Amino acid sequence: MTIEQKYIDLINADIDGEIEHADKGGLDAFLAENEEGRAMHAELVTLCGSIEAIEAISPPPHLRHVIVNSVKPTPAKTESPGVLEMLFASPALKYSGTFAAGVLLTLSIVSSDQISNQAFDDITGLVGTISDPISGNLVNSIAVDNAQIAGKVSLRSTGSMLILDFDLVANRPVEIEAEYADRTIWFNGFAQLESSGTTISAKSGSVTLGMEGKRRYAVYLQNGGERSVTVNLRFVAGGEVVHEASLKYEPEE
Amino acid sequence: MSKPDDTKLIERCIEGDRQAFETLLIQYEKPVFNAAYRMLNNKEDASDVTQTVFLKVYENFDSFDPSRRFFSWVYRITLNESINVLGKQKRLEPLQHEPADDGKSPEQEVASAELSAEIQAALMTVKTDYRTVVILKHFLGCSYMEISEVLEIPEKTVKSRLYSARQMLKDALTRSGT
Repeated sequence: MTIEQKYIDLINADIDGEIEHADKGGLDAFLAENEEGRAMHAELVTLCGSIEAIEAISPPPHLRHVIVNSVKPTPAKTESPGVLEMLFASPALKYSGTFAAGVLLTLSIVSSDQISNQAFDDITGLVGTISDPISGNLVNSIAVDNAQIAGKVSLRSTGSMLILDFDLVANRPVEIEAEYADRTIWFNGFAQLESSGTTISAKSGSVTLGMEGKRRYAVYLQNGGERSVTVNLRFVAGGEVVHEASLKYEPEE
Repeated sequence: MSKPDDTKLIERCIEGDRQAFETLLIQYEKPVFNAAYRMLNNKEDASDVTQTVFLKVYENFDSFDPSRRFFSWVYRITLNESINVLGKQKRLEPLQHEPADDGKSPEQEVASAELSAEIQAALMTVKTDYRTVVILKHFLGCSYMEISEVLEIPEKTVKSRLYSARQMLKDALTRSGT
């Protein structure tokens, strides 16, 4: 025996607490004498109870700061979106499309006497080795949740390459020092999602980045010996250290 | 659903008051993130959608129709952004479940995570038009009328989709042996 659609609707409305008072008596009378109806009612109560028992998940703690720091001081008027806004509107956009721009920008910013390693001078090698920057395996990541800067920094690895992946928003100019004491680690490149806005300087054992606003960029380190590496990050705003963290890479046995 | 002072907060936001925006963000960040997570089954994507939603909200306050309630506008943007992400993902790979970490005892956590995972997996088998109704009803606590307002569809359609979605969920859970 099948249940009339009218009663299926009433059963669902009853469970949702939206049944009309006038219909409630009719449904109760139906359920009192219809076993199939009672079974359906019980099944739906269980199903809805199970769904509603699932607890809400808390958003990542830094998300609110990221959003607040991302908005401009006053609401934008009806301007057509620029290239950067379009990029911001597509968070999933990969680096690869802008990688070449990042490399060129890096070359224009980083003066060659700051680089202690020759790998960076080989542009062809650089582009060739980082054909798909996003595919590195995630090693670990840290969340930054600070009034001046918020977001996430991840350490990825692929082969002998380590990738520091920065996804940050800063509401004022912030300098980030990434220090890796092991002098056998070489700075090997830089890529960014935005076409400008992040500055970088590298020397033996450390890289210093300058940023403001919403930025997504990556720093490539060559770990030729595939050794354990600890990268110490220091975030400096207005001359004061506002956050410190470390990311560690341990090679697989 | 919508807090009575949302309208005042929006007026302040239009005047450029960031504090008012932060207040709205605090109120709606969690439901927006959860709605996106239930649509997408991925926390990173849900974070991205949440960011996009609030940036869109902030940039479009002056085009907000005050005759509508704020929550219906925000949830509509959330569901649309999530559907956009799903559209892009279809070309990539199957969605994978990410277990939630909500600080329970290990036993409770396992039981709760299993149930949550099974229901989430079943939810992901339901077509997006139906999934949105389940999310609005069961995860965001909207009434039929409020769902109708968010999705801009008649209440009759809301009921029909919700009842069908429940049947689809029941069938999916039965197939998975739950």
